[in-house]
Amino acid sequence: MTPPVGRFAEVAYRFLLRFYPRAFRERNGDEMLRLFAEKGRDTRETGGTARLAAHWLRATADCVKNGIGERLDEGRERRRVAGTPMGNTRRNYRGGGGVDSFMKDIKYAARTLFKNPGFSWIAIVTIALGIGANTAIFSVVRAVLLQPLPYDEPEELVLLWGEMRNRGVTHFPSSPPDYRDYRDGAEALEGLAGISTFPVSLTGDDDPIQVNAAGVTTNFFEVLGIEPVLGRSFVEEDGAPNPPGALPGQAGTLPGMVVLSHALWQQRFGGDPDALGRTIQIGGGASEIVGVMPPGFELYMPQTAGLAQDVEVWFAQRIDFENSPRNNVFLRLIGRLRDGATPEQLQAQVDRISATLVADDETKATAGYAMRVEELHADLTAGVRPVLLALFGAVVFVLLIACANVSNLLLVRASGRDRELAVRAAMGGSRSRLVRQMLIESGLLAFVGAAVGVVLASGGISLLLALQPDDLPRIDSVQIDGAVLLFTMLSAVAAAALFGMVPAIQSSGFELADALKDRSGASSSAARKLIRNTVVIGEVAMSLVLLIGAGLMVRSFVELNSVSPGYDPAGVITFNAAPPFARFPQAVDRANFMVEMQDRLESIPGVVRASSVFPLPLTGNLFNGRYGTEEALTDPEAFGQATYRVAAPGYFETMGTTLLAGRTFTPADNADSASVVVVDAKLAGVLWPNESAIGKRFLVRVTTPEPVWVEVVGVVEHQRAEDLAVEGPETVYFTDRYVGSFGGTWVVKAGSDPAALMGAIRAEVQALDPDIPVASVELMQTYVDRAMGPTRFALTLIGVFGAIALVLASVGLYGVLSFVVRQRTAEIGVRMAFGAEAGAILKLVVGQGLMLAGGGLGLGLLVALSVSSVMDTLLVGISPTDPATYGAISALFMAVAVLACYLPARRATHVNPVTALRDD
Amino acid sequence: MSPGPRFDPAELLPLTPVAFDILLTLVAQDAHGYAIMRSVEERTGGKTSLHAGTLYRSLSRLVETGLIEELESPPEEASDERRRYYRVTREGRQVAAAEARRLESQLGAARAHGLLGRA
Repeated sequence: MTPPVGRFAEVAYRFLLRFYPRAFRERNGDEMLRLFAEKGRDTRETGGTARLAAHWLRATADCVKNGIGERLDEGRERRRVAGTPMGNTRRNYRGGGGVDSFMKDIKYAARTLFKNPGFSWIAIVTIALGIGANTAIFSVVRAVLLQPLPYDEPEELVLLWGEMRNRGVTHFPSSPPDYRDYRDGAEALEGLAGISTFPVSLTGDDDPIQVNAAGVTTNFFEVLGIEPVLGRSFVEEDGAPNPPGALPGQAGTLPGMVVLSHALWQQRFGGDPDALGRTIQIGGGASEIVGVMPPGFELYMPQTAGLAQDVEVWFAQRIDFENSPRNNVFLRLIGRLRDGATPEQLQAQVDRISATLVADDETKATAGYAMRVEELHADLTAGVRPVLLALFGAVVFVLLIACANVSNLLLVRASGRDRELAVRAAMGGSRSRLVRQMLIESGLLAFVGAAVGVVLASGGISLLLALQPDDLPRIDSVQIDGAVLLFTMLSAVAAAALFGMVPAIQSSGFELADALKDRSGASSSAARKLIRNTVVIGEVAMSLVLLIGAGLMVRSFVELNSVSPGYDPAGVITFNAAPPFARFPQAVDRANFMVEMQDRLESIPGVVRASSVFPLPLTGNLFNGRYGTEEALTDPEAFGQATYRVAAPGYFETMGTTLLAGRTFTPADNADSASVVVVDAKLAGVLWPNESAIGKRFLVRVTTPEPVWVEVVGVVEHQRAEDLAVEGPETVYFTDRYVGSFGGTWVVKAGSDPAALMGAIRAEVQALDPDIPVASVELMQTYVDRAMGPTRFALTLIGVFGAIALVLASVGLYGVLSFVVRQRTAEIGVRMAFGAEAGAILKLVVGQGLMLAGGGLGLGLLVALSVSSVMDTLLVGISPTDPATYGAISALFMAVAVLACYLPARRATHVNPVTALRDD
Repeated sequence: MSPGPRFDPAELLPLTPVAFDILLTLVAQDAHGYAIMRSVEERTGGKTSLHAGTLYRSLSRLVETGLIEELESPPEEASDERRRYYRVTREGRQVAAAEARRLESQLGAARAHGLLGRA
């Protein structure tokens, strides 16, 4: 029987076991791990997270205490060679003499710290800031990057992404026949499922609502390894194709088989188990409910997949594999590896299948088609990994700076304690005992600091969640649990070792006689000074690196704010209200509906302009297609890739997008045969760089299998549609009648307060058709703000850490100089007695401080230049080595350094020579 | 390890509470670490909860001193043969008894002074 313990817990506990001497560990380690695991299991059964955390805390304390105790006993044993076996051991097992004196040392350390509350508080708060920041960020890193996905054996899940290498497309969906070829051809796959998402309206007894639906292949849940909590999963017949030519919702079509999300089931059916088997109207067609997913089941897919995350209705897609064309691509592919199969093996098999597909299809060949295998978790977190790692780096720096500060505080205090230590040494305290005493004090500081730090971290996590970093997958599962606490404790131990070791060794190495007869302990002070100065320089350097990071983020944010997105979001309301395909099967009916809706919206008092578009910029949906000139007919590689969008007349005017040449769409363009398009300046610049695009013709492939000609009637400003931070691809705008369908996202420009218009807008939609839900009502400004979210998130956090670092570094500088001034009081007194001006003294002290700061600055700049490339993906519009940022931050830093030096220096000039000389 | 002819249980007194607890458990039956921990918890109503480090350090000391020994093979009725089982030695029994007598005389004194109420 293996101990019932998770791998993480086992690794962590085995780490703790390292406190014990090797022989003891090898003898008892396995048994101890087993006991720990069993105790943990008992704790889990009887209590919650708090109990578990306490269990970890106690186990850690147990290992530290007994581990050190055992090591001390072992040392004693080695030294005492003589003696009867019984006499020796008797002492050992009875006394745990090491433990007793260990407790004594802890009590003594606590008393010492209580006696110097000022020092202790500064040290504890400093450590708490460092450890708190680390704990908070680690909890995020753990939830987002380290914790396995909540699927069955999630490490076996992979994504398959189509690529069109000649057109720069990296995340292309697949057609059903291609999907089938991969599913059946790759032996390394245990299963391969396809998914696409789309909004649908849910109608029936209650108000119509719009929900996100996912159309999946029937094996989808099986591939993820998730079962419905109620009813059944999909079976193969659920996906049997409709008769050819049948439209959804019409006579002769099969009902959709659906599984509901737990939330929708609760909301729409009040959690009634009888909902199973009922028929509901989804997207205007009849659908039968066959199951309900477990609560909290979520679709975790990378944002590049362009899938809605909060899916409420799961459809079994009825796919006719035989008659489905290979250029009808809509399935995103997720697969499960067979036991023991690797992604590399799968990639090799997939490559062979892709080669066959390319050989059979000229379009694929010219586009540079390929299929790429990615591990799901890695792909999911690929976008946020750089931010989190940069933040983690930042907090490690903060902790190092905090350690440097405390280390210096201890060094400074150690010089004041020379006498105490000398007396203890003279009375027979061994050097190792003194070192131990000081280490215990450091450890105590670290543990109290860590405890305060955990409190700070839990507050920090709430603040961090308030920033709504929506792009961080599973951010909602961030919490301080056993693993996070263990990390906190390990960082506390590391911190204590770091800031305690140098002063401890330093202090115990001093010359006894020197300390007893001479207050300043001249022989050790030179070494101490060197250490102090090194620590300050290191500290200054690290905080400069952090501040430069913060400066770069500020610049990015400013840059992002000043980018013109190609539209003016002010006063624009957006919402979805589309005529469902099932009830409006004819394109002309849908177009009439849209025209009437536009009229009604524009008739509302306070509405300046109304129009519709699909997809709306910044909503994550993009539809790509080919475009090219005559040349592309003979040379398919001359095709480019553009975003296609449908825009109704008035769209550009409503959004405030500038018309650069020609005209925008008119109602007259909205006729079946009019093959007219509006393009953006980017596309016009590619195809006709030095001439007017108006009246020119080019090729697109939007509704037909073969490319067709369209004519340019207007050129507009480029809109940033994917993301504010990137320019995005060229765009072609089509009229709604030309494409024949709508996403139906409405944009309404309000004259004054947009929120006041919402009631009237809903009323008009209801009046036109009570069965059409008004969904996703948002201000355009909200989408813009959201698009800035990731940058704002990184900016806020790195900014906060940078500020903490600056404060800590200046406090460090100030502290060291204050100490120097105090130590040199006598010297300064002599100088002043001999007539040195106050200015000269000022210069002396400030000069010394600035030398330290300057050294740190130089070192910091070097480090920043070499590590700043990790921030590359976080920055917008500036280089990681932006000279202006480096210059400005260095100047700011020197200004703070001057201030930190000036205060102690001014005190030095007020030294009274007489007092100074008498004092020593 | 065999204790010499001069073995005198009193020399090893007083025992630490943990050592005494372990001996008390093993006097009743051979047991492994987890069983010892549970038995101590039950006997003290959960007031004493041994952690792995404390327990195995004490067990090591007791083995070194010869008061308990490790079983070469687990007892026949053992539920899990891969665990390490411990058994109290003759010396261990003597020491535990001596410790019990020592505590008893202390208890008697406490009672006589009314600390526990009169018997």
